[in-house]
Amino acid sequence: MDSKRSSPATISDHHPSTMEKLVAFLDERVGLKEMQAKMLNEPIPGGSRWAYVFGSILLFIFAMQVLTGTLLMFYYVPTADHAWASTQFIIHDVDYGWFILGYHFWGSSAMVVCVIAHMSQVFLWGAYKKPRELLWIVGLALLGVVITFGFTGYLLPWDQRAFWATTVGVEILDKTPIIGDFIARFLKGGPTPGQMTLSRFFVLHVMILPAALMALAGLHLFLFRVAAPAGPFTGTVEEIKAKTDYFFPRQIWKDMVGMAFVFCSICALALWEPVVLLDEAAPDPGDYHPEPEWYFLFYFQLLRLKLFAGEFGQFMGAVALPVAFMALLVALPFIDKDPERNIFKRPIALISWIAIMVVIVLFTVASVINREFLD
Amino acid sequence: MAEERDSMSPTKIGFSILWSACWTGMVVKSVFVVLLLTMGLVHFEGRFGLAVVMLLISPVTVFAVPIIMAVFGAHFGEGIGIEILFWLSIPVDIWALGLVGRTFFLERLRKEPPDGLGLAIWWRAALVGAFFLPALWGAVSFVTDNAITASHAMAEIESLRQIFDNGLPIAERIGLELTIWGTISSALLIGLSLIGISIFGQIIRRISENCKPTSENYQGLITRWDLMRVPTDQGLLLGSLAGVGVVMSLVFWTLLPVTTPHPHDCCKKPEVQGEPVFKPAEALNKNAQRLALLTAQVEAMEQQKEKGKGKAEGETAKDSSAKTKP
Repeated sequence: MDSKRSSPATISDHHPSTMEKLVAFLDERVGLKEMQAKMLNEPIPGGSRWAYVFGSILLFIFAMQVLTGTLLMFYYVPTADHAWASTQFIIHDVDYGWFILGYHFWGSSAMVVCVIAHMSQVFLWGAYKKPRELLWIVGLALLGVVITFGFTGYLLPWDQRAFWATTVGVEILDKTPIIGDFIARFLKGGPTPGQMTLSRFFVLHVMILPAALMALAGLHLFLFRVAAPAGPFTGTVEEIKAKTDYFFPRQIWKDMVGMAFVFCSICALALWEPVVLLDEAAPDPGDYHPEPEWYFLFYFQLLRLKLFAGEFGQFMGAVALPVAFMALLVALPFIDKDPERNIFKRPIALISWIAIMVVIVLFTVASVINREFLD
Repeated sequence: MAEERDSMSPTKIGFSILWSACWTGMVVKSVFVVLLLTMGLVHFEGRFGLAVVMLLISPVTVFAVPIIMAVFGAHFGEGIGIEILFWLSIPVDIWALGLVGRTFFLERLRKEPPDGLGLAIWWRAALVGAFFLPALWGAVSFVTDNAITASHAMAEIESLRQIFDNGLPIAERIGLELTIWGTISSALLIGLSLIGISIFGQIIRRISENCKPTSENYQGLITRWDLMRVPTDQGLLLGSLAGVGVVMSLVFWTLLPVTTPHPHDCCKKPEVQGEPVFKPAEALNKNAQRLALLTAQVEAMEQQKEKGKGKAEGETAKDSSAKTKP
């Protein structure tokens, strides 16, 4: 009986299912199995970790932003006389429009939070060091793209908040030496924000930035696969070897759980605090005190200090400080050449990270208190 | 290595288990939160972040929340959903503490985890939390309130007025005050939290004292705790998870309000009264009738006018003949 079952004649009787045929068809043409093996069988030194989920979560959030953004574009009209009304229409009349818009709005905040979390993880793990310098620099470029996404998307509802945040933002950019005037004129398209500004921000938001993000994310992933994961910064060689695992299934499982959690968090925020527009954009701010999105509040509050008043102070605060900070981040892997990755043996790095986080939290809270004071 | 395991501080033990258990449980709880919010059963208030911390992040806060609400009058929100979340959190926390605890016992302490470890950790931790967290809440609130008052007073002292013409500028003043009271209350919060985590770690250590050491090598232990987390039948796991995901998605979209449940006064549309339907034949008839009516009225008025004129002429003639009589 057994010999009969295992005979070649019986094996040849096996008829592949439709799915197996489809897989074989694709495999023959595009090398599906090889691609799958390359993507999933990446060894992770020290095994899977929750700390490694942020990159995958960022890709997931971006995919959801593309999906919700596309749905919103079916109803949104990017003209100065219809943008506000069409956004109100999405909120009040389109089926589930209020939720889709809320998800898109909070998704942008989640993206910024996850980028900061991902960067912090890479910094604390010392994963920017040789041979991952290029990976770090491309990551910084992606941070810039994500922030620009937030800035350009903020104008689109065309309410007072959008109009004045953009006005202040463009004025800050205007202070950049040499190219500042050109950038400001290019973005505004006129002396004050108007139809040209909205059109330009819309094109940047839905065409140029997504293309840039996809290209940079692809490059980031390529560099990640070339350099290989850095692994944990603690543990003996024996421990790391014992725990080393492939990307599939454990890390994929963790990534999926992380994505589900982020999805639930964004949904909860969209349900709890839906988008509410202010009055339609007008050249008179009235009682409204202009301020940027919450993740820029710390910087906005920093610029309110007397230290950054006056022509020179404004230049220092609006241009020199952020440019110097970004330049330091770009140069970091080339300055810090010590191969030590354990954050507890890198006191300067640890103290710097804590100091930056404290400043961000402190000035964000101060900005909220300042808003209450102004109101 | 064995010495290092024995000398592990209670704070480190407590933090290792609590941190992982919080995140393990929170993923499951977040699904419940979304469904409860979709059903409109939860209405969190301004202290949403705090409510999330209390209800979701920590398995040790389960009994502390109602005590804080009762003793200090703290109000996190409205709705039956908060009570449902409270009851749902209990089995989730027991499961999360059990999973993380067993892993920790095998990998870090190299000891055989006892049966019912999750429940054993949970009830002890919840009991300690019920006393410790309200005390922490009260202490931090008291110190923060006083620190805010003191920082206001410090920002108004004369020496600062002398440095700046009109006292400290607003942004600097807010920053200074926040730094003063924020540092004091954060230091107290961190200090008391570390004490709480240390107490939690001592509970774990006491439980582990009665456990037998494992006889397997490190690779064997890793395989054991790994198999606790990832079942051998991954197809079944993936299938059941996908099924749960589909059911949850269907429930979510069924419950989600089609139009915004948050209409705002600013955006209410003015009530538009429908215009009557235009019927050409009726309109023509109506106009013709009206014209006829108006024509008749005008004719009647003209006739009345003529009659009045004739009467007046007759009366004038009568008067003149009377005057000419001798």
